[in-house]
Amino acid sequence: PSSSSKGPDYVYFDRSVAAFSEDAILKAKAAQLKLANYYKIAVDSAIERNTRRVELERKLAADTTSSDDRKARQLAQLGRKESAFLRLRRTKLGLDDFRTVKVIGKGAFGEVRLVQKADTGKIYAMKTLMKSEMLKKDQLAHVRAERDVLAESNSPWVVQLFYSFQDTSYLYLIMEFLPGGDLMTMLIRYDTFSEDVTRFYMAECVLAIEAVHKLGFIHRDIKPDNILIDKDGHIKLSDFGLSTGFHKQHDSNYYSRLLDTTNGVSPASNPGRNSVMVNAIHLTMTSKDEIATWKANRRKLAYSTVGTPDYIAPEIFLMQGYGNECDWWSLGAIMFECLVGYPPFCSNSTHETYKKILEWQNYLVIPDDVHLSHESEDMIRRLICGQDQRFNVDQIKNHSFFYGVDWETLRQIDAPFIPNLRSVTDTSNFPTDELESVPDQPAGADTSGANKDLAFLGYTFKRFTTSGSGF
Amino acid sequence: PPSPTPGSKALYLCSPFAEAALVKGNFKTIVMLPKYVDMTEWVAVNIFDFYTNLNLFYGVLTECCTSQSCPTMSAGPQLDYTWIDQNRRQIKLAAPTYIDYVMTWVQNLLDDDLVFPTKAGREFPPNFPSTTKHIYRQLLRVFAHIYHAHYHQLLHFRSEPHFNSLFAHFLAFGREYGLLEVKDVRGTATSPVGVGDLWEKWKDMGILEG
Ligand SMILES: Nc1ncnc2c1ncn2[C@@H]1O[C@H](COP(=O)(O)OP(=O)(O)OP(=O)(O)O)[C@@H](O)[C@H]1O
Repeated sequence: PSSSSKGPDYVYFDRSVAAFSEDAILKAKAAQLKLANYYKIAVDSAIERNTRRVELERKLAADTTSSDDRKARQLAQLGRKESAFLRLRRTKLGLDDFRTVKVIGKGAFGEVRLVQKADTGKIYAMKTLMKSEMLKKDQLAHVRAERDVLAESNSPWVVQLFYSFQDTSYLYLIMEFLPGGDLMTMLIRYDTFSEDVTRFYMAECVLAIEAVHKLGFIHRDIKPDNILIDKDGHIKLSDFGLSTGFHKQHDSNYYSRLLDTTNGVSPASNPGRNSVMVNAIHLTMTSKDEIATWKANRRKLAYSTVGTPDYIAPEIFLMQGYGNECDWWSLGAIMFECLVGYPPFCSNSTHETYKKILEWQNYLVIPDDVHLSHESEDMIRRLICGQDQRFNVDQIKNHSFFYGVDWETLRQIDAPFIPNLRSVTDTSNFPTDELESVPDQPAGADTSGANKDLAFLGYTFKRFTTSGSGF
Repeated sequence: PPSPTPGSKALYLCSPFAEAALVKGNFKTIVMLPKYVDMTEWVAVNIFDFYTNLNLFYGVLTECCTSQSCPTMSAGPQLDYTWIDQNRRQIKLAAPTYIDYVMTWVQNLLDDDLVFPTKAGREFPPNFPSTTKHIYRQLLRVFAHIYHAHYHQLLHFRSEPHFNSLFAHFLAFGREYGLLEVKDVRGTATSPVGVGDLWEKWKDMGILEG
């Protein structure tokens, strides 16, 4: 190499990381990635900020009816929003920034509370997840990655996540509060829905699941407890990013072990033998007693760490690989429950349910005393069926069960049940009396405010403005 | 670590290292105050980010920057920064101690809601501009020490495009908002700041405009 072409100051430097610790090498790599990411975001947000300003300026310029004063105020308002957003980037959050109004729900890894942010007075739902309960440690990183993408979604079908932070024991998610409760509570209250009401909820679920799939996710755990109801009676799916892939009950090894402990033999590996048992279990399933027990325990099941496999597609247990069609199976099971009053494979024990799901051909039975229209039954059978035969989203939308549904305007029409709310903190749609023993603050949480975590800002500015309820 | 041989040009001034950059083009896009945005809020979040990013790179160098390798807070062949203690005495500190003091002090300010408010509706204190100038001055010293004493280590890690861009952004931002005094970047005739020459070079190259 000639120094003339490179200039007099050109220097060769022999690079080698041999003298450094593994730790330093990793840190250096991480620092480079973080900085590259930082500048990428810095440039992107400068462009986005600029676009927002230009859009508003253009809109105001075209507006001939507003006074100049009013226009100036609108521009100042945009500046304040942008400034508040910059402030959010420096904001650290801790549990002591929120006041618990009431415990409103319980899930496998923690509780859900209705909370009020101390400085703004705004209302949110706060979900706590106990880290030690989240089985494998590397799942936390997985959760984080999924949550990042989730938080980017601005879909009306997905519960909005505003913030998350953590302390040594818990991960906290601050979400929008959906005052209408969930579909499980509705089903407990109403037992069954008419076909029209079912059509409404199923159609909304179709669009919600489609939205989730378009984001690149498979929910895998759609069940009535995860279908939340907003103040207008429309549905949203609760934070599926967290339910994906790490819950104990989804661990296929866990299921195989469960199965091995039942009759010693896996039905999947010995289908011949299981067909013999069909009648016995079939009888049990239609027995009123079993259904009554299942119903009585419905909520307890939701609270347990093992959870209910009632809505999970068979291919998930079988470790044969699956795609997003597994979510359509779950929808079929929920539809069955809406019309019949209990899910198709419910039993007194998890392993029974599990076995019935694997042999769905023998156990999917519409009870004689329930009358379903031909379309409803057919829809259910197109969803609860083998992976290859299952309908895809377009086929579902065009099925005669959904005849007359306007898919474009569904969310704008009046919902069949509109929650009757007395205030923004009305919790009458939640089983709060069952949760009275749950403490206001999660046990062992850091309430000192000493070790606050930088709030995770996974949402875009759009989310911040359109929601109108950013901090 | 081997310090640059006296007389020879510092590596960070040499090609191709002085020109290495992660961020190409003009810093204007990310330095300029966005229209209608509150300037104090803009300065606050940027200082927060400079601190975080500088900390990230200093974290890489902690095993190289020890009281043995760096008994003084050096930033040029004739320049050792001194720390002012509570009794207003100038004291010489080993670079890692000095930097630890700076970073802890800045972190505490950033965490203090009365200095860097985060609560909705809380205002910045009246002395905020002078606080930020103080912070900027000390962060500059950390940059200056890393360039002077640890640049070759950054080269081994292939981090010079990243670190250069961070520093160039820091300089451009500091000049734009009056946070940075020229005399602090250059130093005095008898004890110049090493990176003062880099600043001149970058200015000549036109990368600090904005
Ligand atoms: N954003 C919210 N607004 C109102 N209520 C909520 C909200 N999120 C959850 N809930 C209530 O809390 C209950 C439990 O929440 P969720 O199902 O998310 O917990 P989980 O069982 O741990 O979740 P999963 O197991 O599906 O990850 C819900 O059934 C619902 O009643």
